[in-house]
Amino acid sequence: MSPDPEREHANFERFARGEPIAVEVGEIERELGALWKRASSAGNTHAGAAVSRAALWNLIIPTRGSAALAKTKALVDDIAQGVPVRAITLCLDDPGSAGAGDGLSATIESNVVSQPGGARVVYSEEITLRGPVGSETHFGALVRALQIPGVPTAALWMDAAMPTALLIRELLPVTDRLIVDTASCVRPPHLFDLQRLAAHAHPLPVADLGWLRLGSFRLLFAGLFDPPVGGAPLGRATGLTVRHRPGGDLSALLLVAWLGQMLSWRPLRAAQTADGGLRFDFTRGTGTAAEIEAFLIPTEGACDAGGVLAIELHESGHDEYVVCRTALDQASVQLPIAPAKAVKLDAYSDAELCVAALGPRGRDPLFARCLAYADRLWSLEPQTLGSRR
Amino acid sequence: MKTLPDDPLILPNPLREGLVEERIPEPAAMVIFGASGDLTRRKLLPALYSLTRDRLLPARFAVLGFGRLPLTDEAFREEMRRGCEEFARRRPIDPALWAAFARNIFYQQGAYDDPAAFLRLKERLEEIEHRLGLPGNRVFYLSTPPSTFAPVIRSLGQADLAPKPAPGRPFSRVIIEKPFGVDLETARALNREVHDILDEQQIYRIDHYLGKETVQNLLVFRFANGIFEPLWNNRFVDHVQITGAETVGVEARGGYFEQAGSMRDMVQNHLLQVLSLAAMEPPVAFEADAVRDEKLKVLKALRFIPEAEFDQQVVRAQYAAGSIGGKTVPGYRSEPDVGPRSTTETFVALKLFIDSWRWAGVPFYLRSGKRMPKRVTEIAIQFKEAPHLLFGKRGETIRPNVLSIRIQPDEGIALNFGSKLPGPAMEIAPVSMEFRYGSSFGVEPPEAYERLLLDCLLGDGTLFTRADEVEASWRWVSRIHRRWAEQVAEGRTTLDSYPAGSWGPEGAERMMAADGRAWRLP
Repeated sequence: MSPDPEREHANFERFARGEPIAVEVGEIERELGALWKRASSAGNTHAGAAVSRAALWNLIIPTRGSAALAKTKALVDDIAQGVPVRAITLCLDDPGSAGAGDGLSATIESNVVSQPGGARVVYSEEITLRGPVGSETHFGALVRALQIPGVPTAALWMDAAMPTALLIRELLPVTDRLIVDTASCVRPPHLFDLQRLAAHAHPLPVADLGWLRLGSFRLLFAGLFDPPVGGAPLGRATGLTVRHRPGGDLSALLLVAWLGQMLSWRPLRAAQTADGGLRFDFTRGTGTAAEIEAFLIPTEGACDAGGVLAIELHESGHDEYVVCRTALDQASVQLPIAPAKAVKLDAYSDAELCVAALGPRGRDPLFARCLAYADRLWSLEPQTLGSRR
Repeated sequence: MKTLPDDPLILPNPLREGLVEERIPEPAAMVIFGASGDLTRRKLLPALYSLTRDRLLPARFAVLGFGRLPLTDEAFREEMRRGCEEFARRRPIDPALWAAFARNIFYQQGAYDDPAAFLRLKERLEEIEHRLGLPGNRVFYLSTPPSTFAPVIRSLGQADLAPKPAPGRPFSRVIIEKPFGVDLETARALNREVHDILDEQQIYRIDHYLGKETVQNLLVFRFANGIFEPLWNNRFVDHVQITGAETVGVEARGGYFEQAGSMRDMVQNHLLQVLSLAAMEPPVAFEADAVRDEKLKVLKALRFIPEAEFDQQVVRAQYAAGSIGGKTVPGYRSEPDVGPRSTTETFVALKLFIDSWRWAGVPFYLRSGKRMPKRVTEIAIQFKEAPHLLFGKRGETIRPNVLSIRIQPDEGIALNFGSKLPGPAMEIAPVSMEFRYGSSFGVEPPEAYERLLLDCLLGDGTLFTRADEVEASWRWVSRIHRRWAEQVAEGRTTLDSYPAGSWGPEGAERMMAADGRAWRLP
């Protein structure tokens, strides 16, 4: 087919504005190459700013349905502000939904980052492959063809309820890091589906956006036991309370798992409490008498997607060590030797968490250990009839 | 509020495990001497605020400013807030975060040579530590004139504010700004005075160039990539150029600069530190002393410039009136606090050699100047030409490969190489392969002071200068100063002149031309 200058010009304009351009599935790389060539030529001669085409990661994001696709594309736009990636979004259309076609379709677009002074530099690119259910059989080969060589690949698995066959069969073999979000788990079994997925992915690093969301809380809470307090109160703890928004019990469970793992608490039993919360008993030794009682208590209050409102550790001498969210981005830290202090509690967007997950914080071996510990907690036989489990 | 027993046995905090990547220091207080000065407002507090914003400081952390001006805590906080609003990397300032951060900022008036003021400082510090539940970890930042370094450290010792380290005791560290001495003798004397009070491991001599991301990346670039280090020697490198250019003149620092000159202000510290990192051997580990041992070897291997070659290898000059950024600027001798017959250099260019197996015969050209056309610091490694030229017409040269490491601004690395021009003819054009922090990582690197303050709080001295390094660099630089003094005594001065807005005097060009080379346009 001979080149159509008007169409090429229109496509370039759309590309420079970061708008999607429909292309033949088999011609993605060639079309991208042509657009970049034109962009760099225009950048050098007209705008005055050289164009950088950069990618530190191939980022593969499987998704399902138009609504999820729109959300994913917005997320990719935001991620591009923090780290340049070649994003490859794989979307299965809902059957019968508007916009669903018969076969595979592809669009390409750029992610443009504004520079001070009004100059624009095009940073990274986004490829969207979309098709009806059944198209996933083509996704694996397309991803392998579209990966930028020499650049690591991450798979962003945001919907814990999606069938995992595509991920396990096609994507994990070409992936260097798996990113999940435990906060997307609406029911505890989803959390443990992810745990099995993480075990399957081993030894790939598995990063969890939910775990990263808990990072601020963990840091503040850990900071309570820095000198001059030290770790002694943790060894004398008799009670732990994690207050969480209703529906945020999985994040709360991960926090309890973190403390149990770090402090070598041995889980003994679990029960549902009258207020709709959960209780876990732990021992430090080999006996069966409970030495630490941990409560997960649903509480109303403003908080981020992580859903945790407060963590309180009680010591035998009635001393308390508390980190308590007082606003969306503020917390109060309390310990016996100092007055309560208001501190900033960072609330990160999903895109910022994804950027963090692509960095060193996405290789946290503690997460897998805590996830496995949370699985153990959840697997305890409930002691109370009518348990919602 | 509960108080702790006097000497509790503090158990380690098990919850810190797994948070190591965050590199959060233990709770501490930082005392800044010279708190009412410009550095505190422009660099130190903005750096501490940005660290707080990035959650890299502990929740329990206090700043106590100490200065001559009478200020209340509130007035000091307000001044620091304005500084952060103007200079912090993370802007705009988050009001909630600032409120929490500012609550732990305090101010104490006092004179640096008044022992009673240091006793009052100690009382105030202990009261703050008690109130905020701090364990007694302290960092003292000397952002004061160099003449006060020794008195302040003596007073710290007399007031028992900085006891020597011992297991289980809180730490006390002292950050000392440059210049550390004005020549070898004064640097040695200062080291002796400081060591009377402090162990070397408590001393953090700061050179903010070492906190720059690209300077640290130099080590990663060289020692984490297999392909460059084999080329990093006299078999493949033709020469190295290190440029530290500023557009500013002496501004309000004419009095200081008259005593210092470019050699003391830039070369002795910044450029020789950068040189030592670029030329050093691989350290046995990425640990403070291992890295500093290797840097020291480079400084010790600097060949003293022979008297007979001195005028060919050392060029100094002063800027005359000229134009910078479209504005007319005065010459150096017309600047405030500068004498009309001043012989202080505002530009220096040097050719030097490192006597080692790796660098035998490879010249290193250093230049540093004020009132240059643009602000830029870079290292350029120029490689030798291909041994046999297959391409190009007879007599036509192909530009050599240059690896340039840009330290500021636009931090990054570029590799220039020749590429065939498209078309039937075999024509070669230079092309550049560039890596820039801004575009590759999408974020600007942190300010140098952020990294260095954090490192000090963590007890990591890798990016700070050790006593023997300081003395080794002064030993080399002081010989040049002595020779200049001899020339003045002999009644001849070699001081050139260059118009502001140029790349330096003709003498610097001649120095390169004599070797068949030219300065790069950075």
